[in-house]
Amino acid sequence: MTTFTKQRLTVSSMVILLLTGLFVLAFLLPYVYLIMTSLKESAEVISSTPTLIPSVFTLENYRTMFDLLPIAKYFGNSFFTAISSTVISVFLGSLAAYGLSRFSSRLGNMFLLLTLGVRMVPLISVAVPMYGIINQLGLYDTKFALILVYTSINIPFVIWMMIGFFDGLPKELDESARVDGCSRLGAFIKIILPVSLPGLATTSIFCYMLSWNDFLMALMMTSTSAKTMPVGLSEFLGAYNLDLGPMTAAAVCFSLPVMIFSIMIQKYIVSGMTMGAVKE
Amino acid sequence: MTKSDRRTALLFFSPAAVFMVLFFVYPMFLLARDSLFDSKTGTQFVGAENYVTALTSARFYHSLYNTIVFVIGAVSIELVLGLILALLLSTGFKGSHFARTLFLSPLMIAPLVCGLIWKFMLNDQFGILNSFLFKMGIIDSPQSILWLSDERFALLSCMIADIWLTTPFMMLILLAGIQGIPESLYEAAHIDGANKSQCFWRITLPCLRPVIVVAVLIRMIDAARSFDIIWVLTQGGPNFSSSLLSTMIYNTMARYNQVGYSSALAILFMVALMSICGFFMMRLWNPNKKAV
Repeated sequence: MTTFTKQRLTVSSMVILLLTGLFVLAFLLPYVYLIMTSLKESAEVISSTPTLIPSVFTLENYRTMFDLLPIAKYFGNSFFTAISSTVISVFLGSLAAYGLSRFSSRLGNMFLLLTLGVRMVPLISVAVPMYGIINQLGLYDTKFALILVYTSINIPFVIWMMIGFFDGLPKELDESARVDGCSRLGAFIKIILPVSLPGLATTSIFCYMLSWNDFLMALMMTSTSAKTMPVGLSEFLGAYNLDLGPMTAAAVCFSLPVMIFSIMIQKYIVSGMTMGAVKE
Repeated sequence: MTKSDRRTALLFFSPAAVFMVLFFVYPMFLLARDSLFDSKTGTQFVGAENYVTALTSARFYHSLYNTIVFVIGAVSIELVLGLILALLLSTGFKGSHFARTLFLSPLMIAPLVCGLIWKFMLNDQFGILNSFLFKMGIIDSPQSILWLSDERFALLSCMIADIWLTTPFMMLILLAGIQGIPESLYEAAHIDGANKSQCFWRITLPCLRPVIVVAVLIRMIDAARSFDIIWVLTQGGPNFSSSLLSTMIYNTMARYNQVGYSSALAILFMVALMSICGFFMMRLWNPNKKAV
């Protein structure tokens, strides 16, 4: 009897292992294929009998991508707008979240309701009038415009995330800081922000990713000088363009560092994603 | 609350509030105003004409239908796959943590890059998927399924890309939910002689229900709003067969430059999405406040 259940257990655990393995393979393959393709020779990239493994490994695509488009500039634009908007939105958002968490008022509650509603608004609906505003301000195709746009998209998200963290901090913490002679703002910056570092980290990662990965807003608000990587990548797909090798190389450069980084900081991402959906 | 407290509170959230009013509330006001003006010049007040045009246009209903098919199709497959994966990983076999890490890798990929990958894999001439299906003997020639240029498959292709990108998210949420179910419930069921499938249907699934509802709601909103993947893969074509509301609004705005009409469409889309979410949330939070 015992041997029988033991055997059944190993069989079922084998099935679990096998199934998981298959799923992992299926989910990883598309990305592995992208990386492999970027290492192929340009002729092999569009071969009608594609293989997963390149017949010759070469970095040709990584060299030619710089000749085709100003990749470095797009990269810089992406990085600069994402970082700036993250810093601004996390600071202003947590300031607001702290205010809302510590002093409740009718105006504050209305504001909180607004930030929740924002989550449901399709980005394209904001993009249409935003395009007009940015144009009117004479900011079309500037990095500043993108920073403004990303910051305003991110602020409600920051408030939503941070208010939970601040609610969890004891009020005695700010009171003791006040007794020690800190102003409200001083208590916030010197005491509250440092202890909420894990929450700030998680929130910042998500803000950064939202800006870094954005395509729609950058597509509408930029043309040449402020163009970001996603829009640059989409240009490889022009009608008469078959430079798909360099495209895959650029796509790898754009996504692989982020992916490796996100695996390293998995803990924060997992906690951020499961927050709100699953309550402990 | 003292008067000075109120002033500090105001000081704390006014910078963010100014931002949101300038770049959110004001745009929404502009959107509503533009939707009442004509599309060509934008100066002539036409009342509800743009809305009438939208609500009597076959293309609007077609895009609405596609959006619904896309959302329901993609999210339900993600839910099933995500649940299977979460159950597999929740057994906690040796290496399950590593497997989870691998699964999470698509999570942070830009939707645009996801679109590029699938555009490449589903290509008619050199796509590896057709080549693979051909070698397996499932299809007759590598060109027999035109994933992106056949009206029957275009929307499905977009769904496949979306499923690949966001199933890990679903898995993650459900896994966290499963791990939150108290072990004692299973122990009690085990003593009562319940088997694995009874445990699943009577304990796991009911306990997971609130988590599933929230995860599905989040995913439904995001799927309805998705634009990048569809834009890269098909641009809503061929012959509008994969046109979603988001791509339709973008086209009306950027390609045909019809600001009034696209604003009206954007308002309709927003109202539809918000009322569906509102409906879900009411059901979620009203009857039993502690359900989630």
